[in-house]
Amino acid sequence: MSELIDLAGIEVHPAVAATLPAWSDIVDHLLGPALPRAVDSLRTAARRGIPLIQPRSGVGGHGEMLELLEALDEGGPGMQSVTIDSHTRLRQFRTAELMLSERPDELNGYPLVAHGWRRGRELTRASAVPLEIRHGSPDARDLFAVALAAGITSFEGGGIGYNLPYSKDVPLRASLEAWRQVDAVCGRLAEVGVVIDRELFGTLTAVLMPPALSLAVVVLEAVAAVREGVRCLSPAYPQGGQAHQDIAALRCIPLLARRYLGAEVEVFPVLHEFMGVFPRTPDYADALILQGGLVGRLGGAAKVINKTYQEAYGIPDADANLRGIRIASLGAGELFGFVTIDESRVEEEMHWLVRETSELVDEVLAGSDLPADIAAAFRAGRLDIPFSASVHAHSRVVPMRDRSGAIRLADPGRLPLSGSVLRRQARLLEAGPGAAPIPLIDQVGADIRHFLDRERVALAGNTRRITTEGEP
Amino acid sequence: MDIRSERAERSPGLVILGVAKSDAHAVANRLIEMQLRQHGYDVVNLGVCTPLEDFAEAHGEHPEAVAVLIGSLNGHALQDLADLPALRAAGQLDCPVVIGGNLSVGSHKSERTLERLFDLGVERIVEDPADLPRILKQLGRPRSRSRTDALAVGRHE
Repeated sequence: MSELIDLAGIEVHPAVAATLPAWSDIVDHLLGPALPRAVDSLRTAARRGIPLIQPRSGVGGHGEMLELLEALDEGGPGMQSVTIDSHTRLRQFRTAELMLSERPDELNGYPLVAHGWRRGRELTRASAVPLEIRHGSPDARDLFAVALAAGITSFEGGGIGYNLPYSKDVPLRASLEAWRQVDAVCGRLAEVGVVIDRELFGTLTAVLMPPALSLAVVVLEAVAAVREGVRCLSPAYPQGGQAHQDIAALRCIPLLARRYLGAEVEVFPVLHEFMGVFPRTPDYADALILQGGLVGRLGGAAKVINKTYQEAYGIPDADANLRGIRIASLGAGELFGFVTIDESRVEEEMHWLVRETSELVDEVLAGSDLPADIAAAFRAGRLDIPFSASVHAHSRVVPMRDRSGAIRLADPGRLPLSGSVLRRQARLLEAGPGAAPIPLIDQVGADIRHFLDRERVALAGNTRRITTEGEP
Repeated sequence: MDIRSERAERSPGLVILGVAKSDAHAVANRLIEMQLRQHGYDVVNLGVCTPLEDFAEAHGEHPEAVAVLIGSLNGHALQDLADLPALRAAGQLDCPVVIGGNLSVGSHKSERTLERLFDLGVERIVEDPADLPRILKQLGRPRSRSRTDALAVGRHE
């Protein structure tokens, strides 16, 4: 990988670059009249006040991927996903190619680089709606180049969110530089009228993520992206399961965008439906999926990434995914238009969330070298996330649910939060009168399994349903 | 609630923690790190996908370690620990090695897996992470006990 080819500012592996069309062809195709564009769909959803729904989906074989996209279009999603396999995520393109020719069923996603940009263009024609690449690569430069050539107008990831949850030992400086190049190409494209949507993976490790940590990471990635000229951002927040907290966190995204990003960039909040340990019964799973749609609408999300009732058992089949799209869509739609929320409670959460996020990011943003300052802050524990797969975050923060189910900080580690923020977090976690002390590991474990417990209580007495009906 | 107030006054020692080479389960690893810190231990967490050589290297840097704790949730513990006798023969990892994870006791097959892990030189096998602080206290100062002793303890836990 020593010699990389410079493709409009992005360094690409020569073997990948050799397959690509000329830059002018790529730009012409992206400007083409027939191509559905992510930014247009997001604008429409934001204007209507009803989030569009997007499923995850990715299979190894090209024919199978085309069929899957066509099948999922039936559910009426506003965007579709091409989820990329693990080998491609790690830039093991040869391995992906080999598996594609020998055992495509064993790939856990679509190996776009191995398939090449021409097949990518076929994918964009298979669905009526715009496509987004979802993956988890700390360095996605090659993948991004192929995606652009394919005419795919939305690309998920960032130098923090696609590093710490996915890689053990990729330095943050390296992933931030790789993503800086991706963002810089988006900036260049924006100058000629091609707006690429960049979704930021605030979901992080997907388990008990304190909202302020999610927001802090996407603010930092967003600032870095805007400095490179990105004009369309979709910061994503993971549904934690407590509606007031989730709605508050989503509503903080535009507030934080005004404070930190300026007016040049369009910002579309995204809700990722609950990413943690999922209910096991179709009944309860569907209810949680429905709630996600509703929370997305009330929170002002432009997009909701749906879950499926097979979540607890692995990658869903197309039918389960169709049902997930429809149920999330019903939750976000007019049927629940009458539902309102306790606005004062949401506002209180928002007040504290904006304050917490500022306390986390302001010092980092005050420096002169953002990537270096982000890396230094994680090294010092002044930025941190729980359950990191990477050694480059301390994971000293301990999240816990309060009695309402909202996610709080039981231990802030070395986060530079003010006394009043920490006192509030501690107060909210105070046990009720007479409650027996529970060992930390049991409490956090129970909080991770939150919806399994709630499911059991909700469906108690209906033992037939507490089975594994959802298993495909 | 301030969980830090529950911590011991003086550190009971340092523990080297990590997940076996072929295993990428981060959540349990981080939960155990939290729990050990709460009990006052200093923790060197090597994280997911850690080869045995890295545990040995960390032990070289921290010879005072009370134990090396290796998580294995994916059923490949035997392969991932295969080099333990060779490392020990080379004078490395001279401290109790404790394995934890989803090693269900009871079935014929897993019973044999446990015996083979003890044969490799594993000191203790822990199923419930909540038992870890108690088990670490029992280990005492570095230096392994006999295999049969460990086997008996492992079976009765």
